[in-house]
Amino acid sequence: MLSRRDWMRLSAVGVVGTCLSGWFERLANAAAPHPARKRACILLWMNGGPSQMDTFDLKPGHANGGPFKEIATRSPGLKISEHLPNLAKFGDKLAVVRSMTTKEADHGRGAFLMRTGYAPTGPIQYPPLGAIVSHELGRSDSALPSSVSIAPYRFFSPAAYGPGFLGPRHAPLVVGDAAQFIGQPGMNADYTQALKVQDIDLPADIDKEHADFRLDLLVEMEREFITRYPGTASMSHKTAYERAVRLMKTDARKAFNLEEEKDSVRDAYGRNLFGQGCLLARRLVERGVPFVEVSLGGINGNGFGWDTHTNNFDQVKALSGVLDPAWGSLMTDLKDRGLLDSTLIVWMGEFGRTPKINPGRGRDHWPNSWTTVLAGGGIKGGQAYGSTSDDGMSVRDKPVTVPDFMATVVKALGIDPDKQLNSNVGRPIRIADKGGKAIEEVVG
Amino acid sequence: MTFWIRWPLTMLCSIVSVCSAAAPHVPASGAVRAEHLADVVGLARAIDRRIGAGLKDRGVTPAPRADDYEFARRVYLDLTGRIPKTSEVRAFLDDRSPDKRSRLVERLLRSPNYVTHFTYQWRSLLVGNSTNQQVQFLNPQIENWARSRVRDNVPYDRIVRELLTVPVVAGRGMTPTSNSAAVFYQINELKPDMLAAATSRLFLGVKLECAQCHDHPFANWTRKQFWEYTAFFGGIKPQSVVAGVFSPATDNPNVREIAIGDTNKKVQAKFLDGSEPNWKPDVSTRETLAEWMTRPDNPFFARAVANRMWEHFFGVGLVDPVDDFRDENPASHPELVDELAKGFVASNFDLKFLIRAIIATETYQRTSQMTHPTQEDLRSFARMPLKGLTPEQVFDSLATAVGYRGDTGDLTRRFGVQSARNEIQSRFTNPVDRRTEVQTSILQALSLMNGKFVADATSLDRSETLLAVIDSPFMNTKDKLDTLYLAALSRPMRESEASRLLPYVTTGGPSRDSRKALADVFWVLLNSSEFILNH
Repeated sequence: MLSRRDWMRLSAVGVVGTCLSGWFERLANAAAPHPARKRACILLWMNGGPSQMDTFDLKPGHANGGPFKEIATRSPGLKISEHLPNLAKFGDKLAVVRSMTTKEADHGRGAFLMRTGYAPTGPIQYPPLGAIVSHELGRSDSALPSSVSIAPYRFFSPAAYGPGFLGPRHAPLVVGDAAQFIGQPGMNADYTQALKVQDIDLPADIDKEHADFRLDLLVEMEREFITRYPGTASMSHKTAYERAVRLMKTDARKAFNLEEEKDSVRDAYGRNLFGQGCLLARRLVERGVPFVEVSLGGINGNGFGWDTHTNNFDQVKALSGVLDPAWGSLMTDLKDRGLLDSTLIVWMGEFGRTPKINPGRGRDHWPNSWTTVLAGGGIKGGQAYGSTSDDGMSVRDKPVTVPDFMATVVKALGIDPDKQLNSNVGRPIRIADKGGKAIEEVVG
Repeated sequence: MTFWIRWPLTMLCSIVSVCSAAAPHVPASGAVRAEHLADVVGLARAIDRRIGAGLKDRGVTPAPRADDYEFARRVYLDLTGRIPKTSEVRAFLDDRSPDKRSRLVERLLRSPNYVTHFTYQWRSLLVGNSTNQQVQFLNPQIENWARSRVRDNVPYDRIVRELLTVPVVAGRGMTPTSNSAAVFYQINELKPDMLAAATSRLFLGVKLECAQCHDHPFANWTRKQFWEYTAFFGGIKPQSVVAGVFSPATDNPNVREIAIGDTNKKVQAKFLDGSEPNWKPDVSTRETLAEWMTRPDNPFFARAVANRMWEHFFGVGLVDPVDDFRDENPASHPELVDELAKGFVASNFDLKFLIRAIIATETYQRTSQMTHPTQEDLRSFARMPLKGLTPEQVFDSLATAVGYRGDTGDLTRRFGVQSARNEIQSRFTNPVDRRTEVQTSILQALSLMNGKFVADATSLDRSETLLAVIDSPFMNTKDKLDTLYLAALSRPMRESEASRLLPYVTTGGPSRDSRKALADVFWVLLNSSEFILNH
C-alpha cells in the first residue's frame, strides 16, 4: 500500500510529456549512476535447505560429521568445508552464524519464515526481504527495478517470492524463471538467453520507430483516462509502463547482457545457471540495484538440490562445486570494484539438515540448530557467531532466532529493524518481529 | 483469571440493530421493516437511502448514472468474470425496453459464466490465490464442490453448514475429481487452530488469529476466546509420522475441548458471543457450532457475508477489510450493514437475492468517473470505485477481446498444465487485498506490450479477429475503430479519440499502411488502464 506522499513523489517522477520524447528524455539521466550510493543486498538462496554439517559447521571426528574435511580460511580460527576453497580466501569477510534456531521444518513454511521473517499466519501478506529492501532503499526514478530475482524456484511458497503487502511496485523482476529446468535431458543450456528479462524485446514485426508511435498513442490514451479516473490503480498502471519502457529503451537493459563480459570472467563464475546468475547480480549491483537474489536449486535441473534426503555427500560436494567459484568470483569482483563494503551478501536456505546421517547416507530437514552466513558490507567478518554441540544436535550458545537474524540483516543494510510498515490488515508490522535484536557482535 | 473474559460488549451492541446507539442514524421515516428488505426493490431502496444520507451528511455530490456501455461492461465483469463481446454490447444497446438492465442481470445470473466466475470467487475465498503445489492439486476438488453449489444457488447458510459438518476423515484418499467440502480441511492442514482462524475470518468476519498466541492489543478477542472457539474443531487430528510410524488423520465428533497452544491447560468449546452450547446427544461438536453460526439471529454471520458481497461489487467493504469487524474498525454505513443482513436473512440466505438488490441500486449504477472533487473518498460510494481484475478476469477478458480460440478451459492452475491461461494468470496474480489499490508490475506491462498473446492478437498474420474487422467490406475506418473499441473497451470511440486516431489510421501511421495502423490501435486498447481495470 502506498502512502499519499509516495504517490505524490511517484507522479512527480512520472509526469507525462506532450509527446513521446517527454516520456523518455529523462531516461538518459535516470540511467546515470547515483551520486549518493546506498547499500545493496545479494541473497544467495539455497533452495531445499543446505547441510550446515557439510558446509560451514563441520564436526570432524564425530559420527555425525561425514567424510568432509575442514580447511582454514584467511581468518585464523574460522574453518569451513574443504569444498569451498575460493570462499576460504575471504574468511575475513565472513560472519558465519552457527546458532540459527527456527521452528519450521516444512519447505514452504520454512521458506516463508526465512524470507519474510515471519511464520505464515492467516491473511497477513508479509513482505519478503527483497520487497522490504526495495521499499526502503529503492528509487522509483531508476531505470532498473529495485529488486531482481534470478532463477527462483517458487513452488514451495509462492507468497514468499512476491512483494507481500508492499504491492507490485516492490515485486521482484524475475529472470530465468523456467531456467532451473535447464540441464534436464533435452533442454538447451543457453544461460545467456535464459537470464534476460522476459518479453523485453519488441515483437519481431514491430521496429523501434513503430513501437514509439504505438507508445505515443498509449500515452494520450492514458492521459485522458487518468483525468477522468484518478486513483491508485490508474496511476500505478502508468508508472509500471513508464518503468517497463525505460527498461526496454535505455542502456539499463544491457545489465542483463552477459555477453558483454569476457569469457574468462564468465568461466570463473562457472558456466551454469547459478554462476551466471551471480555474475548478473554483480552487474546489477554495479548499476545501483539495491536487492538481487540468486537461487541455487539444483545442478541437474531438479530445482531443490539441497534437499539431500539421500546421498547427501556426493550432492553437497557437487553443489559446493557450483557455489564456491560463483560466490568467490562475486567477492573478488565486488572487492575490485570497491563495492564489497557496501554490499551485503546473505547465504541461507529454508532450514538446515539433520546432524544424524540417515540410512540412505542422507540428511533430513532440521530447523533446530543450523547455519546462515553473512558476508561483505555492514558486518564484522572473520568470525563464527554462536556454536552447536559436538553432535550438532543443539545450539550450545548464543542462539539466533529468525527475528534476530532479520534484524541483523536489515541493520547491516542501514535499515531500522524496528521500523513499522503499513500492512494489508490495517495494523503496522515491524520489519523484524517483536523481540528481534540485531546481533551486536556481527553488526555492532 | 477474570482478565481473560473481556467480552466485547460494545461491539455486540453496535452490531445488534435493536441497540439504541444506532437510533440517531435512523431517519424518522427510515425504520425499515424486515419484510420490506426482503424484496429486491425494497432492499435496493434501503441501500440508496443510506448511501444518499451519507452523501448529504458529508456534502458529497454523487456522480451521475453510468451509461449503458459502462453498465454492461461492469455487470459482465462482476457477474461473469469477463468483458462482454462486441455482439453482446450491441444487443444490449439495441434493447429499447425500460427494464433492460435488470433483464440483462437476470440473463447473466442464468449463464454458465456466472457459475464459473462465482466458483472462482469461492475458491479464492476458501483457498486464496495460492500457487502452492499442494493447493494447486486440491484446487479442482474445491472447485467441483463449489461449482455445484453455485449452479443450484444453494442457500448460503446451507453451504456453510455443509462445510462445517462434512466428515473429514471419510474424505481421505480423495482424487482431484472428488466433490467434497472436506478439501477445505486439508487446505487448513487439518489443524484445529488454522480451521478456527479460517472459519471465523471467512464466515463471521472476525479475525481471531491474532489472539492465538496472546491477548491482542488492538482487538477485543482474548487468547482464551480463540481457544474456546478452536475447541469446536478439537476432535480433528492431522496425520502424523512419529518415530517412523504413520498415524492417519482422525476426526472424533464428540470432542469438545482443546489444550491452549503448547500448554496442558484445556478449555471447553464456547461460542464467540460468550454463550454456552446447548449440547444434545447425537449432535456432533461441529454440528453444534454450525447450528449456532447459521442461526438467523447470529450477530456476525449474515453481516459478514452481506459485507463481503458488497465488496465484490464495490471493491471496498462497508466494513473494510471485510474480515475485520470490530469496534475500532467501524463500518462506513453501520445501519446499512444491518439492513443488508436483515434482508439477506429474510430471503433465506439467497445469494442471488443480494446480488440483484445491490445491482438494482443507483449506487451501483453510478459512473466511476470522478465528476466532482468531493468524490475522492471511495467509501462514500459517490461513484463506482475502479477495481483491479482477478487473474481469471484478465485472461477471460483478453480472450474475449481478441476472440481467442485456444483452450480456455475453466479449471485453472491445474498442476503442471502449461497453457496461455496459466501463463497470463500467473503473471497477473496480484497479492493485494484491496482491489481498489491494485498495482501493475513491470513484468505485467512487458507481457502486455511484447508478450506472445497480445502480439499474436495484434498481428496481421496471426489474428483472425483483427483481420475480420480490418478487411470487412461493410465498414469505413470509423466503424472499424468503433468495433475495436467495442471489442476491447465495450464502448465506441470518443470524439477526442477520433480526432487523433482517424488521421493516424488514414495516413497509415509509421508503416504507411492503414491495416497495420488499425492493429496499432488495437494494441493500444489492450495495453490501456481502461482495459485492465473494472470501472
